Amino acid sequence: MKILFSVFLIFSCATQAAPSNKELKIGISQEFENLNPMIMTMSATSYIYAMAGRTLTTLDANLKWIPQLAKEIPTLEKKTAQIVEVNGKKKIVVQWSILDNAKWGDGVALTCADFAFSRQVALSPNVSIGEKETFTKVEKIEWNPKTPKNCTFTYDKARWDYYDMAKFYPLPKHLEESIFNKHSSKKEGYEKNSLYVKNPTNPGLYNGPYKISEVKLGDHVTLVPNPHWHGAPPKIEKVIVKLIPNTGTLEANLRSGQIDIIGTMGVLAMDQALNFEKKVKSENLDFLVTFTPSIAYEHIDLNLDNPLLKDKKVRQALVYSINREEMVNALFEGKQQVAEHLVSPKDPWYTNDPKQVKIYKYSRREAQKLLDEAGWVVGSDGIRTKNKKRLSLTFMTTAGNKTRELVQVYLQEQWKQAGIEVTLKNEPARVYFSETTKKRKFQAMAMYAWVSAPENNPKTNLATQNIPTEKNGWSGQNYPGWSNKAVDQACEAIDTEFSQAKRKAHAIQILKAYTEEVPVIPLFYRSDISVVPRGLKNYRPTGHQFAETNEIELWTF
Amino acid sequence: MATYILRRILQTIGVVIILSYVCFYIMTLMPGDPVELMISSNPKITSEDVARLRSLYGLDQPAYKRYLNWVAQISTGDLGHSRTYRVPVSELLGPRLWNTFFLSMLALGFSLLIALPMGVYTALNPGGKLDSTVNMASFFGISMPSFLLALILIIIFAVQLGWLPAGGTETIGADNTGLAGVFDRMKYLILPVLSLSLQSIGSFVRYARGSMLDVLRQDYVRTAKAKGLSYHVVIWKHAFRNALIPIITVVALSLSNVFSGALLTETVFAYQGVGKLVYDSIMGNDFNVAMISFIISVSMVLIMNLIADILYGFVDPRISYH
Repeated sequence: MKILFSVFLIFSCATQAAPSNKELKIGISQEFENLNPMIMTMSATSYIYAMAGRTLTTLDANLKWIPQLAKEIPTLEKKTAQIVEVNGKKKIVVQWSILDNAKWGDGVALTCADFAFSRQVALSPNVSIGEKETFTKVEKIEWNPKTPKNCTFTYDKARWDYYDMAKFYPLPKHLEESIFNKHSSKKEGYEKNSLYVKNPTNPGLYNGPYKISEVKLGDHVTLVPNPHWHGAPPKIEKVIVKLIPNTGTLEANLRSGQIDIIGTMGVLAMDQALNFEKKVKSENLDFLVTFTPSIAYEHIDLNLDNPLLKDKKVRQALVYSINREEMVNALFEGKQQVAEHLVSPKDPWYTNDPKQVKIYKYSRREAQKLLDEAGWVVGSDGIRTKNKKRLSLTFMTTAGNKTRELVQVYLQEQWKQAGIEVTLKNEPARVYFSETTKKRKFQAMAMYAWVSAPENNPKTNLATQNIPTEKNGWSGQNYPGWSNKAVDQACEAIDTEFSQAKRKAHAIQILKAYTEEVPVIPLFYRSDISVVPRGLKNYRPTGHQFAETNEIELWTF
Repeated sequence: MATYILRRILQTIGVVIILSYVCFYIMTLMPGDPVELMISSNPKITSEDVARLRSLYGLDQPAYKRYLNWVAQISTGDLGHSRTYRVPVSELLGPRLWNTFFLSMLALGFSLLIALPMGVYTALNPGGKLDSTVNMASFFGISMPSFLLALILIIIFAVQLGWLPAGGTETIGADNTGLAGVFDRMKYLILPVLSLSLQSIGSFVRYARGSMLDVLRQDYVRTAKAKGLSYHVVIWKHAFRNALIPIITVVALSLSNVFSGALLTETVFAYQGVGKLVYDSIMGNDFNVAMISFIISVSMVLIMNLIADILYGFVDPRISYH
């Protein structure tokens, strides 16, 4: 026993030091890929890249567009953005000025040429960029060689959201151009040979407050301060992002000092976070569990092709008969907010004014009234029937998602009390999203979440043209199959409307129809969860896709 | 013997080729492809983007053509690129295979070291107190879910006692070399090895005990005892050697898994092995990674079975090869 104990002592890790500005270990549970910003598709990669690479603008924790590499956001008022007419088509020309001291990690100045080069790469047919519109929306980038940091961007049309450049990342032309020229004629030739793959610790690849000093895919990334960062030097001397794929062991890793914080990319389940919060209080642990309301919208799509759901009264009754307030309190201790519709309270388009949108307060009486009016009569077993047909619906979601499965059971019971029979049928995420929702194969109800941006035109999800069909190759995400002319027109109008007030008016018109016709049952807006040491300052989870790491240079103990 | 081995190797190659196509084809039948996974993470991807990416990745081609392209590619020594991680497969798979190999071999070695003597001892003293205790412990080990055991080990040794790390492969940024590096790696291996071993010790003890009990009842053992041979010679030369045949089969099958990885153990301990990579590659339709892992796995099963067959002949001279 003594020998065994001695062996353990030799191997044992010394008592973990409290986290400090010397080193910060961030635990994430999502996989990450190589850090080429043009190619990356995984959220965890964007989370890590934000520490090492920046672009012209981003969205901050207050959902405000802020400049990063740009000196300021150009505006029509200052005439740094101007609407012009070219060949009868309105376009917008924007003057972007890059910060004078913005440099790559090897000290080379970051210029308009780097943005033009990244656009050139993105437009290559042999590079597998996911969403090309980010780059194609800019028709050309011009600059005077004498002032290489003052760029003129001409957009393909008069876009009011021209300042959304958060995914238009620059690439270091001085390092990547020769590789691109050599390999771009082969399919995926550039991305396979890029320095981001061959030599990811080359400092010249990064322009953010940190540079990458070590990458082990599937395990960790180490970042150290970038001496050529244009802003105030980051306070933390070393950041390690460690992948712990099993969320069940994140807490153990945190408590044993293997990691110092669980960032929003830890994707801690709500029940785990609530339990840990209780432990923090009862054991007086030095952590803070934060729940940040996000713009992720958890909802249930109703398949409007289902004859039972064609009747608006039935759809409205489905919403009236569920007590969502009670549900979020019972399941999430009130840490997630009930949703009225698809626009989150953080969004400038949000409204809960009953004059503008229909608000559904839990009312079993109202639900019963609507179902009675629709001709559904309560049967001997408590389930309503009409023309010998039972009011029976199938409710699907992703199998194995504990939170969603809890919500399903909760709602099933409430609908049963209203005389609606609900059968649960869940599928693995891969089948559910690739086949069932995408091809609208769900019989009645499908629960999942949308993550959008503020002032996001919902046409992908609501416009008639985006109802997936075999004919259009199952493109679009209007899975309920909702078709409303006024909504279609409002979606189109939003795209070209420069007045924020008028855009909001269009959005409210959409929301009014959305809440009145109920193609979707709104459930709740999810919260982003993170666990941080109490001593960590300036840590601000954002609640949207541009993560808290966008301001990591401010974090300090 | 040489003809037999050659024939078996040729059979192995044939089986690998046939199974690789079957596996490739089955993967194409699975719903979703890498492009659809991209769409689910970015609703702004348009139908034009989808068509462009499908063509770029060759996903618009029939399965047999894609398979032939893949065969042509690996025959040049290029294992391809991972669609998920966007790096060469060799770069991704190589270090993880070694990590998994170390973990699996250590677990297997440790299990055999404990299980074989224990199995033999309990067979020689059946019904005794130790036999009952070992039997109980074996059933406990076999029936204990590995992830639960792993979590218990983490809570005790990492959270409560703080003796060992909760997970990982090595201390990040420690830059340990030589013996310090070995000790560092060992520190991270203790809990995963224990977690894997406790399960296999149970089953190996049961096999060793059962096989030994069976052999001890045989006439040739009685004859050896009657001839007045020493206890040790009877047990280790006449009984144990014959009892080894079924154990070799079980160990060979276990050895075939040394490169396949232990998905649950590796995931719970965030150990950078091949198990989770293979799982993710199959779920994420990362063909190149999944296919190479599959080929390694199938080859290992077939090769280890071949080695087991050869070893039978050494253990039991009555077995001959034709």
